[in-house]
Amino acid sequence: MKSAAMLRLVTFKNPKNKTLFIIMMAIVLVMALAMPSKFLTSINIQSMASQFPEFGFLALAMMLAMITGGIDLSVVAVANLTGVAAAKILSASVENGTPAGTAMVMAVLAILVVSALAGLANGSLIAFLGVPPILATLGTQGLFMGLSIVLTKGHSISGFPEEFMVIGNGNFLGIPISFILFLAAAYLVSVLLNKTQQGFNMFMIGSSPVVSKFSGVNNTKVLIKTYMLTALLAGLASVIMISRANSMRPGYGTAYLLQAILVVVLGGVDPDGGFGNIPGVIMAIFILQITQSGLNILAFSPFFKKFMWGFALLLVMVLNYLLQNRSSRRKIRLMSNDTKHTDTGETV
Amino acid sequence: MNIKQLMKHNETYILLIILIFSAALTMINPVFLTLENMFDLLRSSSGTAILAIGVFLVLLSGGIDVSCTAIAIAGQYISVNVLIATGIDSIALAFLISILIGVSLGAINAVFISIFKLPTLITTLGTSSLYHGLLLEVVGTKAVNAGDLPESIKAFGKIEILTLTRADGSSYGLSIFFLILVILLLLTWFILKFTMVGRGVYAIGGNAEAAKRTGYNSHKIQFFIYCYAGFLAGVMGVMHISMIRYGNPNYLVGTELSVIAAVVLGGARISGGTGTLTGTMLGVILITILEKNLILMGLSSYWQQFFIGVVIILGVSITYAQNKFQARRNLSIGGA
Repeated sequence: MKSAAMLRLVTFKNPKNKTLFIIMMAIVLVMALAMPSKFLTSINIQSMASQFPEFGFLALAMMLAMITGGIDLSVVAVANLTGVAAAKILSASVENGTPAGTAMVMAVLAILVVSALAGLANGSLIAFLGVPPILATLGTQGLFMGLSIVLTKGHSISGFPEEFMVIGNGNFLGIPISFILFLAAAYLVSVLLNKTQQGFNMFMIGSSPVVSKFSGVNNTKVLIKTYMLTALLAGLASVIMISRANSMRPGYGTAYLLQAILVVVLGGVDPDGGFGNIPGVIMAIFILQITQSGLNILAFSPFFKKFMWGFALLLVMVLNYLLQNRSSRRKIRLMSNDTKHTDTGETV
Repeated sequence: MNIKQLMKHNETYILLIILIFSAALTMINPVFLTLENMFDLLRSSSGTAILAIGVFLVLLSGGIDVSCTAIAIAGQYISVNVLIATGIDSIALAFLISILIGVSLGAINAVFISIFKLPTLITTLGTSSLYHGLLLEVVGTKAVNAGDLPESIKAFGKIEILTLTRADGSSYGLSIFFLILVILLLLTWFILKFTMVGRGVYAIGGNAEAAKRTGYNSHKIQFFIYCYAGFLAGVMGVMHISMIRYGNPNYLVGTELSVIAAVVLGGARISGGTGTLTGTMLGVILITILEKNLILMGLSSYWQQFFIGVVIILGVSITYAQNKFQARRNLSIGGA
């Protein structure tokens, strides 16, 4: 079973993933050749593996929304809100001397509850009231981010129990714990998408909401579940965020929104919905992280990176468009050849 | 028009909300309903209103534009730096450069959206990051203080088209910004109402395929929309710096949420084809009153983003819920 999955990953059922794999390897090669003493060191690899999970969770969240043909602009805001809620509980526990274990359980519970409610709000607006996902999540983005600013008055909250910081900074057998958590989440999302009714229905809605509705799918229920799962993943991102930084400042990670959309699109998820797979998105996340680390080592300014991400997003989208155009044109040509063939066959 | 018809329009509801809100504010603080405060509101909201016209046009065509603020700040910062570097102290040149930059950046948006058929949200998210990153990387991050600012830009912000005198002899007036806004509104109204390309904006927003088959050139229309939105952003950029007399390349970016909120509140639908300029302006007024008077209402400025979020959610919920239930009613009538 496991080897079959591995085989499928290696043989690339999806041609886009093959391209992604080649790009990823090319970037690794270029980085390794350009700075052999800095890039392929165990410290750099370890730091890369601990840097991206907080953002990787947001990308997984964005992926779920996009597969149904929607988008969630509130992922970073949800992560901020849940982060503030958890940070309040954790820092209060340090002050009051509550046992760290109890505080951590309470913080995680708070994150689950807050993110579920946030997702329910998004899902209800989209599924019940028929508000387009862009506008609904644009509004809730303001609401959630505004709430986290109100709750903290714009200040950062810091000082969490030592035990909590292990999640973001600790290693297990030399592998960052946050990286392990990310892989586990990615595996669960992949099971959800490929093995469950919910996942199947999400792809259906993404391809055509009308068809899925008339095939007996309860679109409302599926969409609300999707946005709750999306918010849940965003909430989990905040666990890693706050434990890595040992503090929470509202407005943290706003640049992640663009990057999340970038990797999801780069990873082969169709912004119009209906297509997307986990291996592609994971490779896209790796590509982004490797490039990011490379730019950091070469000391590029954050402004240049901002420019880069915008440029990369547009480039990927244009390339996708051109490739799709070419393949659809080829399909039409093949189809017309086929018909010619049968025509002559009939006349002879 | 009778009341029943009036109640079908989004504009009526917003106007009612604005009136109720203003009455409440006046009761809390009578200063609100003075001519001076009104003039001040008009001056400070003109910029948002001009950006809103551009975003409105984009929404009307079935798209969304989050890059307008990045374009405005690029136009502003580059034109001011050119003026300082060359030593030419002319407001006309500032506007010219800013508008040229605005139109070109708008055209780049249009290339992606019209030729490569990319989704408008993702395109403008990408270009806004690209434009702003490039501006900070290439032009710089240095703020321009009032002392370094060309005189003509500072002077322009102080021009008044109507000056009134207070009881104590000091004067206040209606800023030239309001005149610019009115001219741009009339221009946009004329284009939308009387020109082929303007009707085309409604047409491709209503149904792109149908518009194409009717003979509208959708490339031309989309280039017009994004270049015009860029032009408006360019005008707004120079106005903004002459108002606050301080140039910071990190300003404006991030406020696109309020602009979109205003347009959406005004009743424009993201699916395109519906919406009015009147509604958009009412939306801008509502958002501005809300933003400027939170403190007057006894709430600290931390609440600003929260309230904008609430207002957007309420606005879109009403618009789309109405739409959905209307459709259901029509369906059931059709079934019976």
